[in-house]
Amino acid sequence: MSIQGTAERLSDFDRNLLRRSVRELLSRCWPAGDAVERASNAPAIAALWQDMASQGLASLASNTGETGLRESVLVFEELGRAACPAPLLGAVAANLALAGQSTNATRAVLDDVHQGKAAIALALGAFDGDKAAGRVEAHGNELTGRASFVEGVQAATHILVFTDTPARAAVVTSGASGLSTQETPGLAVPAFAELTFASTPAALVEVSPNVLADIALVARLACLARALGAAQRAFDLAVDHAKVRKQFGQFIGQFQAVQHKLVNGLITLDGTRLALESAAEARDGGDPEWRVFAQAALAFAGPALRDVSIQTHRALGAIGYAEEHEAPRHFRRVHADLARFGGTPRARAELADFLLGPVQ
Amino acid sequence: MATLPAHDMGAAANAFRKDAREWLAKHWTAEKRAAHARKPFKERGWDTEFSRLMGRDGWIGIGWPKQFGGQGRSASEQIAFITELANSGAPGQAHGTGESIVAHALFSHGSKEQQDEWLSAIRRGERSFALGYSEPEAGSDLASLRTRAVRDGDDWIVNGQKLWSTGGDKAEYVWLAVRTDPDAKKHAGISVLIADLHSSGVTIRPSLALYGKTFSATFYDDVRVPAKNMVGKVNDGWKVITDALAAERVMISATRMAGIERAFDHFTEYLKTAIVDGKALRNDPLIRDRIGALAADIEVARQFQIRNARLVEQGRVPIHEAAIGKVFTSELQERLGQAALDILGTGGLLSEDAPGAPVGEMEQVLRHSIMGMIGGGTNEIQRNVIALRGLDLPR
Repeated sequence: MSIQGTAERLSDFDRNLLRRSVRELLSRCWPAGDAVERASNAPAIAALWQDMASQGLASLASNTGETGLRESVLVFEELGRAACPAPLLGAVAANLALAGQSTNATRAVLDDVHQGKAAIALALGAFDGDKAAGRVEAHGNELTGRASFVEGVQAATHILVFTDTPARAAVVTSGASGLSTQETPGLAVPAFAELTFASTPAALVEVSPNVLADIALVARLACLARALGAAQRAFDLAVDHAKVRKQFGQFIGQFQAVQHKLVNGLITLDGTRLALESAAEARDGGDPEWRVFAQAALAFAGPALRDVSIQTHRALGAIGYAEEHEAPRHFRRVHADLARFGGTPRARAELADFLLGPVQ
Repeated sequence: MATLPAHDMGAAANAFRKDAREWLAKHWTAEKRAAHARKPFKERGWDTEFSRLMGRDGWIGIGWPKQFGGQGRSASEQIAFITELANSGAPGQAHGTGESIVAHALFSHGSKEQQDEWLSAIRRGERSFALGYSEPEAGSDLASLRTRAVRDGDDWIVNGQKLWSTGGDKAEYVWLAVRTDPDAKKHAGISVLIADLHSSGVTIRPSLALYGKTFSATFYDDVRVPAKNMVGKVNDGWKVITDALAAERVMISATRMAGIERAFDHFTEYLKTAIVDGKALRNDPLIRDRIGALAADIEVARQFQIRNARLVEQGRVPIHEAAIGKVFTSELQERLGQAALDILGTGGLLSEDAPGAPVGEMEQVLRHSIMGMIGGGTNEIQRNVIALRGLDLPR
């Protein structure tokens, strides 16, 4: 099975239309003024998901669709910009893992996802990349194990779980027997959850470990895109602020110290976006080296976007430090997304593996 | 070779790259390489004989418009060629300034007679130029330059001093920014002359720059320059200078980027097999982390280069985008040089001709990085440009 679609892709013009359309949808259905409060409101997320599904966004990255990774990262960028916890990560992973070889049960779940009736949380288990993320094993049609740092569990109707012994994609309903969920609050909003599986019934399909690993890499890029959208939004606010805020009788954007701080942010944001889009384009075009380009984008963006987030706050000063300002939610998102899946150290290690060979 | 995968620059650029590689393999022979390597470092890269050979076979001016004798190659094709030239180690500096800067100014601002006189000679590899811009009181604030030119019959008489002219001790001509109206506002009274560096009254004093090659102070004492050698209108030189530099920053960055990638490839190739104190360097987690970080930075620098090339191909002049590429690439080179010292230890201080030097070229990469951060407008000035043009921040 290949996770690379073959259908004709959208043009740059169409992608810009898609971006505008998603931005308009989110500004209407997920306004900035309510975004933080709604982030913990499962019915609000479910309602938003239905709106997104009605525009076809729940089908992103389907093998049969015309959207590939380029369109997916674009939408994730917009989700980050809007601080919107829509359950798209699970949908994209499910579209990649389950389409084309699904059982009746998983096909029904996918149909529900595409109609916005089902929301999927993604637990990558041994494919996560974070050494503390846990592991889930499949025994017959049951799962056993633990998966930590799973996002979107609060609003999820199903969990998509990757197992490595043997390699399977498993779909578990949220109320399944033997599944216990514990919220693990922290910097990420909404909070992650830890899932424990004790002989939990699941619908399983066989997927090769390489494909599961590729889907996990797509998930990493999706989260990078979301972090990019969040960082860019907060940065834009800081640039606007520098043009109107006066201190010492002049706009703070006239001070070279502020200008150069913001310029460094622009360089990082541009560099991240170019590297991310290039990796997505390589994957959509069938270039087997897309993984290396993806790892490079991740390795660059980890420390760089976090620094943009920090410097954004320094430019905004105390005005941006209040939780009712948009900047704090983006600070949380940037740091949470970039620390996931092994973060920067893992991406750098992967590049070293490519250039120097594996450690012997 | 331990290298990042190449990006597909398109069928035309890929085919042109192949042609360039084959030509270089045929003409930049092992004998020539060996002879070049035997030269003192400061003499390398500047080879008028090889420039003439390139000119003979049509490798100079490949990106020039066809009406000026060029091939109208795309920015992607030009970058492909620049990369191949850098990878081969063949010398291209003798004709580089003429091809990349002087010629582009002549396209827009030169008279028909000037275009006829200079462009074909540059394209044949028969003209070499240095830039005469900076002065003791005019560095980042170039428009405050004071070197005077006063009209006297069919000549301009030039008096003044220029600094930091790369190739000033080797070139035949200088692309000279002079003040022709001392009473005008500072950007308004500047003109550009092509002056023969062998003229009476020219004194050239080369200094060895930190990167291992010379740059020169040039002194002009009543130097006569034919009036026909003024490019553009009198007192309109600021536009000539800025127009010439704008699009060409892309090609200058491409040259630097090709050099960085080449050095990084050599560095990682060494690390793959090096054993120090009985341990393989490649297994050191700190080294692997550093190499991974540098590889990611190189990929991003490539992306800036590709973006600039695409903008040029769309007929746009990248201003803040070119400045971003320049800032990021030059500072990446500095990080690469520093990383090499951390990883190689004292051995990283050894130059390529030192017995037992690991890699050898990395300390020069570090010394050279300073030039990238200063030359063509310091990175601080570039950041000012990006703030105004890229972010629309207030002056």
